[in-house]
Amino acid sequence: MPYARSLRSRRSDSITVQPEGGTYRPLNNGDIKAVHETTVRLLQDPGIKVGNLEALELFAAGGARVDFQEARVCIPRGMLEDAIASAPSRVTLCGREERYDLVLEGTRTYMGTGGTVLNVLDPETGVRRPATLQDVRDLARLADALENIHFFMLPVYPTELTAETVDINRFWWALNNTAKHVMGGVYTCDGVRNVIRIAGEIAGGIERLRERPIVSMVTCVMSPLLMDETYTALLMEVARHGIPVVCPAEPLAGATGPGTLAGTVVIANAETLSGIVLAQLVNKGTPTIYGTVASTMDMKTGSYLSGNIEMGLLNAAAAQMAQFYCLPIYATAGMSDSKLPDVQTGYEKAATAIITALAGANFIHDAAGFLEFCTTIAYEQLVIDNEIIGICMRAVRGIEVNEETLAEEVIRRVGPGGNFLTDVHTLTHFRREFFFPPLGNRQSRKEWEQAGAKDTAARARERAKEILARHRPPPIDPAVVARVRAAFPALCD
Amino acid sequence: MKYSWQISSAIQAGEVDRSRELVTRSLREGLAPGEILDKALMPGMEAVGEKFGGGEMFLPEVMLSASAFQAGLEALRPWLKADDASFRGKIVLGTVAGDIHDLGKNLVAAMFTANGFEVIDLGVNVPAERFVAAVEEHRPDLLGLSALLTTTMSRMPEVIRLLQKRGLHGDPCRVIIGGAPVNEEFAASIGADLYAENAIEAVRMVRRLLLRRKRGEAVAKVGAG
Repeated sequence: MPYARSLRSRRSDSITVQPEGGTYRPLNNGDIKAVHETTVRLLQDPGIKVGNLEALELFAAGGARVDFQEARVCIPRGMLEDAIASAPSRVTLCGREERYDLVLEGTRTYMGTGGTVLNVLDPETGVRRPATLQDVRDLARLADALENIHFFMLPVYPTELTAETVDINRFWWALNNTAKHVMGGVYTCDGVRNVIRIAGEIAGGIERLRERPIVSMVTCVMSPLLMDETYTALLMEVARHGIPVVCPAEPLAGATGPGTLAGTVVIANAETLSGIVLAQLVNKGTPTIYGTVASTMDMKTGSYLSGNIEMGLLNAAAAQMAQFYCLPIYATAGMSDSKLPDVQTGYEKAATAIITALAGANFIHDAAGFLEFCTTIAYEQLVIDNEIIGICMRAVRGIEVNEETLAEEVIRRVGPGGNFLTDVHTLTHFRREFFFPPLGNRQSRKEWEQAGAKDTAARARERAKEILARHRPPPIDPAVVARVRAAFPALCD
Repeated sequence: MKYSWQISSAIQAGEVDRSRELVTRSLREGLAPGEILDKALMPGMEAVGEKFGGGEMFLPEVMLSASAFQAGLEALRPWLKADDASFRGKIVLGTVAGDIHDLGKNLVAAMFTANGFEVIDLGVNVPAERFVAAVEEHRPDLLGLSALLTTTMSRMPEVIRLLQKRGLHGDPCRVIIGGAPVNEEFAASIGADLYAENAIEAVRMVRRLLLRRKRGEAVAKVGAG
């Protein structure tokens, strides 16, 4: 029952084989309609507060009722519907290499790193320390090598850099160290422009970059229902360039969102749709991605939570809303509040990651590396999460049923008392049917003891070290590197 | 050697017919049987063993490769002289009388083949007499007994007793047992020399045993000299 389909036939056939979720649906069709109708009413009254004059003028010119005194924007139903209709239902985020392209659409699911944290568990000492630009490079290289991580979202803020130089350095050093798509938060309008110039150099011009966006950007709405001056300016800047942009909302149920999950789905929906309306007013048809980072507040401490199961529910529901609007979604899952890679980390991450993936959220960020309320990243955790993502993707792929997989003739051929191990049918299918964990241990106790009786985190640390010692991502053309370095002296060595 | 690469690839790809055909063609063209074994069949199976160890190949593939190897070996066998064999060791194995489970035993056979052993597989439901007769005939380094049922594991001591009665137990022929119901304690209690939990461990234990034996022989030789 996608809502926007009635406005315009939008979904087109695609040939990629990326698994599709959509089987887990915490909202039924009536719930989805109710969330939508509530959202429409709230965008009309009370509307949203917008702390940016240019945005207020754009909203007014676009048909919103704007109170400039109160900086209040009321978005009528028709205006919302126009924005949803003009926003593309498919956004392709590209890698420097085409094999890493992500086609965000429908219920197709991808998972990767997220942003943005200030601390790193040092891979040598295990002690928490401030993140640096070297971590951007090393984490990008690690993510480049990990087979199940689909994209690289800039995970850390290098604490030694200033706000003026951080945007270009983060993107540049990530792009140099991975051929996967690079998405990142941005901090200044100059930064946005310069990152787009750099990415344009690599892509072969700004037009080529729009065709094959190797970078995309994230801004944000402040919950509840507030678009502030800076982030709104950033959103408009990215939209003007026609580069894919996400404007997610991050309501915390019980604090900046209602204390109910349904209410929090509503408010997050209203907020991210407001961002899409504005981006479409700036540049009609520009690639915009529905976004949510919704979670709950800890009622014991007042802290933001990232490993709570409610976060999974909120994100799965958001995926259903995005599917209803035929908009691609940037969702959040696979995090933990634990301080180190331990048992809590494993179960919290797996729980939210799998339900959000099964809901068919398209671009699930924060799903690799993070710990401790999304404030810290660990190298070994990236390796562990690579495995959780692999497991999720296998679950999303589900069970393929057809004449070949039902194996009627094979069962007849092998017959009672036989075995299937050496049958050609097993040989043909087992690699695709079974997930082979690169990290999980399936040795006998004796073998495991002989190999040093190492737990998962220790083995993950070893794998991270091995990868960092040998992995060299495909380099950027040296001529491009020289041009970019000459044009941007603020790029660090 | 001509065809060595093709035969080795056929084994790695698990191409049973192609392996047999290539060996036959090599023989027709006058290549030395010992060379075909050493420079084509064995390297092919060694590569399989390495790929399995490195996680590139899985059990069904190794088993098919072992079949391709065996097919080549069967084509070659009539022409092989005793001193042509460059196997790492020889194992006779089978599932004991009353038990028709062959999956585990086949896995063990494939793993030994993949690791350069000559494998004589007696099949399933093998009576004690036949095990002992095979040991007498083939003079293996190892006799492998498999049982999947608690009711048939009791046939294992019978085989060992008969082996001992004929003076065939002990170097060179050691006994290794395996199967779901048996364990290390059971192995010790019936006088078996080795117990392995799975096929990979079995190969590792046997290789270690043979290495120790070789070292022992070397020491004995030095002593005698």
